[in-house]
Amino acid sequence: MTRILLPLFVVIPLGAAFLNSLIGKRIKGFSDVLSAIATCALACISIYSVFIFKDTGLIVYKVGGWIPPMGIAMVMDGLTVFMLVTVNLVAFLISIYSISYMEKYTEKWIFYCLFLLMVAGMNGVIISGDLFNLYVFLEIAAIASYALVAFGTEHEELEAAFKYAVMGTVASSFILLGIAFLYSVTSTLNMADMSLEIAKGGSPRIIMLVSVFFLMGFGLKSALVPFHAWLPDAHPSAPAPISAMLSGVLIKSLGIYAIARVFFNVLGTSPQVLSALMILGVLSLIIGGCLALGQWDFKRLLAYSSISQIGYVMLGIGLGTPLGIMGGLFHLFNHSIFKSLLFLNSGAVEYATGTRDLQKMGGLREKMPVTSSTSLIGSMSIAGIPPFNGFWSKLIIIAACVQAHHFAYAVWAVLISLLTLAYFMKVQRYAFFGELKERLSHIKECPFFMKFSMISLAVLCLAGGLLLLPGVFDSFLGAASDAVLAGKDYANVVFVAIR
Amino acid sequence: MKLLLQPILTSILAGIVILLIPKRFRKVTETFSLLTSLYLLAASVKIFFNSPVNVGYLYVDGLSRFIVLGIGFFGVIATLYSLRFMAFYKEYRSYYAYIIWTIGFSILAAISNNILILIAAWGFLGLTLYMLINVGGPKAAGTSKKAFIIIGGSDSLMILGFGLVWFITGDLNLSNIKIAIDSSISFWAFLLIAIGAFAKAGAMPFHTWVPDTAKDAPIPVTAFLPASLDKLLGIYLLARLVLNVFILDSSTNALLMIIGAVTIVAAVMMALVQHDFKKLLGYHAVSQVGYMVLGIGTGNPVGIAGGLFHMLNNAIYKSGLFLGGGNVQYRTGKSDLDSLGGLAKFMPITFCSMLIAALSISGVPPFSGFFSKWMVYQGLAEKAKSGGVLWIFCLIAAMFGSGLTLASFIKLIHAIFLGKAKDSSTGQCKEVLWSMWLPPAILAALCIVFGVFAYTIPLKYFIAPALPSGLEFIGTWPSLKATVFLIIGLGIGVIIYLMGNLKGIRETTPYIGGEEVDSDMRLSGTEFYRAIEEMPLIKRLYAKAENKTFDLYEQGKRFVFFFIGIFKYLHNGILSSYLVWCLLGMMILLFSLVR
Repeated sequence: MTRILLPLFVVIPLGAAFLNSLIGKRIKGFSDVLSAIATCALACISIYSVFIFKDTGLIVYKVGGWIPPMGIAMVMDGLTVFMLVTVNLVAFLISIYSISYMEKYTEKWIFYCLFLLMVAGMNGVIISGDLFNLYVFLEIAAIASYALVAFGTEHEELEAAFKYAVMGTVASSFILLGIAFLYSVTSTLNMADMSLEIAKGGSPRIIMLVSVFFLMGFGLKSALVPFHAWLPDAHPSAPAPISAMLSGVLIKSLGIYAIARVFFNVLGTSPQVLSALMILGVLSLIIGGCLALGQWDFKRLLAYSSISQIGYVMLGIGLGTPLGIMGGLFHLFNHSIFKSLLFLNSGAVEYATGTRDLQKMGGLREKMPVTSSTSLIGSMSIAGIPPFNGFWSKLIIIAACVQAHHFAYAVWAVLISLLTLAYFMKVQRYAFFGELKERLSHIKECPFFMKFSMISLAVLCLAGGLLLLPGVFDSFLGAASDAVLAGKDYANVVFVAIR
Repeated sequence: MKLLLQPILTSILAGIVILLIPKRFRKVTETFSLLTSLYLLAASVKIFFNSPVNVGYLYVDGLSRFIVLGIGFFGVIATLYSLRFMAFYKEYRSYYAYIIWTIGFSILAAISNNILILIAAWGFLGLTLYMLINVGGPKAAGTSKKAFIIIGGSDSLMILGFGLVWFITGDLNLSNIKIAIDSSISFWAFLLIAIGAFAKAGAMPFHTWVPDTAKDAPIPVTAFLPASLDKLLGIYLLARLVLNVFILDSSTNALLMIIGAVTIVAAVMMALVQHDFKKLLGYHAVSQVGYMVLGIGTGNPVGIAGGLFHMLNNAIYKSGLFLGGGNVQYRTGKSDLDSLGGLAKFMPITFCSMLIAALSISGVPPFSGFFSKWMVYQGLAEKAKSGGVLWIFCLIAAMFGSGLTLASFIKLIHAIFLGKAKDSSTGQCKEVLWSMWLPPAILAALCIVFGVFAYTIPLKYFIAPALPSGLEFIGTWPSLKATVFLIIGLGIGVIIYLMGNLKGIRETTPYIGGEEVDSDMRLSGTEFYRAIEEMPLIKRLYAKAENKTFDLYEQGKRFVFFFIGIFKYLHNGILSSYLVWCLLGMMILLFSLVR
């Protein structure tokens, strides 16, 4: 019976998007309410599914009743549950935030349609047990995000969206090409089946070629250096809630999740691939971190910082050790919380002051107490200051690097964490502390819905460390890293669940 | 267990309660904060008398127990002083909450045995420091940023150091760890953790946040954190490493001694030329750390005991000096030495307590500072037995630094309290309220007590139990007898002076060539050491120091921004070049993975 939950993750947002496009234009406020209800339902179901997974273990839903590997499957394992919670929780809070924030744009219902389509795409990517369907959902999410980046339709937005679309499409093509190669080798598209076929051996060079395609394709989606160049343009140009969505969850569900799933569970990892992942991770870490420090545009700084933080996640996962994968996934969850929070903060600042330039701000602490204290919490979390969540995940990643004898990576992780602190200190210093500018003396704190989302995310930042508590750990974070660590064993578990 | 956890939980909860008390009940919040800090003091006294305690991840031994006591004591001093000094501050709730949290988490850091708890408590203290400096208002924003980057950055280095410790031993409890420094990994582990301790305590080259903080943060914050608590914690950690966790080899000891000696001299030279008394005191807060690091670096019991004792004394007189300075600033609204003067008449209690503290920091017997410096010198003499020449340089540096300290305090006391004010505004000054003069007076009294009764009180109860091996002195300083003789000597001197001059004194205004000297020609203390500043080599060094050439933070910034410039140049915003990167990246991956 619980199987029926799985398709809901796609059906609810897709249906809501459809209803929105029919009715949203005619009734004012309809799309706000519908989207909030839909995402709230999704968040609740995703949290509920944590408990279900704890009881029943891996669940497979057979679409249309066809038995996989012939039919299409939806698979929910520990990693899926973990990602679903991450995506839908953030999506819900962002949807609430948008109620007020999007007032300044026209055609709000289009925004919500695209937003819900993006959520549907991401959920689809996460829950799909079939590589081709993963690609289809990935394209749904990606195309919705191209449109959303261009939503402001000003010069800057359109340029960014164009770059994003071109580069995103290149990545998607390589992913499709990779899938085609795999299909030619294994004659199947079901991931579990494919995994078994690959395990039989044969044509290892094609598998390696496919690995390269996937590294590039998913690497571009997750903005790993040197495939990152679209991100610093696209993320700042989008409306703030969408920036939060893109940086917070999109790059992770389309990029990191797909890499973890495909490399660990389907293709199987080799030391070369893992070291490639780590090198890409460390490169992103360093270059993203340095460039973030050099920015004066609040949102651009945050965008570069996303590249850097994704580097941490990738480094952790690339270590391939239990501690490393756990740390990487934990940082993924934490990053989605605090980066969404920080983008929402930047949105609130832009909403009140009309600027994204840090040099034109100052002293906002006095005028916008909620925004400033939540942004302080977000900054402290991302900089890895205890007791906030980012501290714990960075600590684990550093410890994992040391444990795996990768001392150089550990040193980089530490140095960039110093740099992270430095650029968030810059944000705090120029935006929130310092002298209040004459021009800003009349500004007001943002409306209720925006405050609600920011405070909720800040509370999550504070409470994030609790996920490591013994009772909580096993059912959420532990289950996710076990799913990645299971490696090729994934296939066997899935086939057991099908029968 | 309950004994140790109770004060920490109480401080966390009390901080939250303070934030929740409605804003209009100012008195309630203040009283509640004072009561909480008194409770924490009582708890730390209780911990002191019930040690050693070991409950696995928390433990108290001879070393941490007097640190805990010190934390509780300075917490009360800071809170009491703040009642009046911060009376007009708007965001007072968060101020008191941070103070209370700082006390609680400092205690936690001092008693934690588990590395993770230590790191977490330590890191959180960085955050409270940042927020407390920000209490200084918009102008403190730059300083707080710098301080937090240095502190937080060194914390992350410390995390790596502890990571290496965990890698070497596989254990997370400090009491189980004993590492000999015999490989490069263990050396780096020690050095990285020591960097955390140095930055906290303010030793060179991680000191630059201290003088800036002293200038921009409110005085009680400076007196509480960089002057006392951060010293206690930083030196505590260093002592813990040296005494329990690591077995140092001679080159590591030498490194510590060099850091100590350089810190003493360089910082005191900077202090000598300051015009703002807060900044002057800030540089001394750095310079004194040198003695502690030097003492601990000698590696023998006397030296380590001297370093620890000096830490305790420094915390006492330095916060006394800052609080006394705070009184001056509170009454006159100024901290610039050039525009102060002649306050001794109007603020006698402040004057006396600052004078005692200044004599103590300068190492004048029989005050406490003398005694601990004396022990550090003995440590160096002990070190001389093992040969080498390094100890000579360190001894010279230490003594030279002591002399310069005295010199700069002569300047400070003269410029603030003696002489004559440039303008008449200081004329209406009067002594501050009791809640402001009492804390520096208590601290001054402690300077005397710890100096005169050094053997019977501080060394016996605080310092000696901290050392695993016993404490032996080479040269004893019979402090009580010596004090008596000193007083007798001084008394005789006064009598001789009075007998000879009682009738011959004529007071008159100063004049030159029959004309009265106008106030511009008056001798202000700030001009005392102009000659040193003007020396050719030293002049150039001062100019470089002014340009922040020796500031690790500024140099690091320059270095990083060089690379940022390159990366920025590469990100030219042209789509085709971005696509070329993707292609290149893919080709490199192809070559390295598909063979």
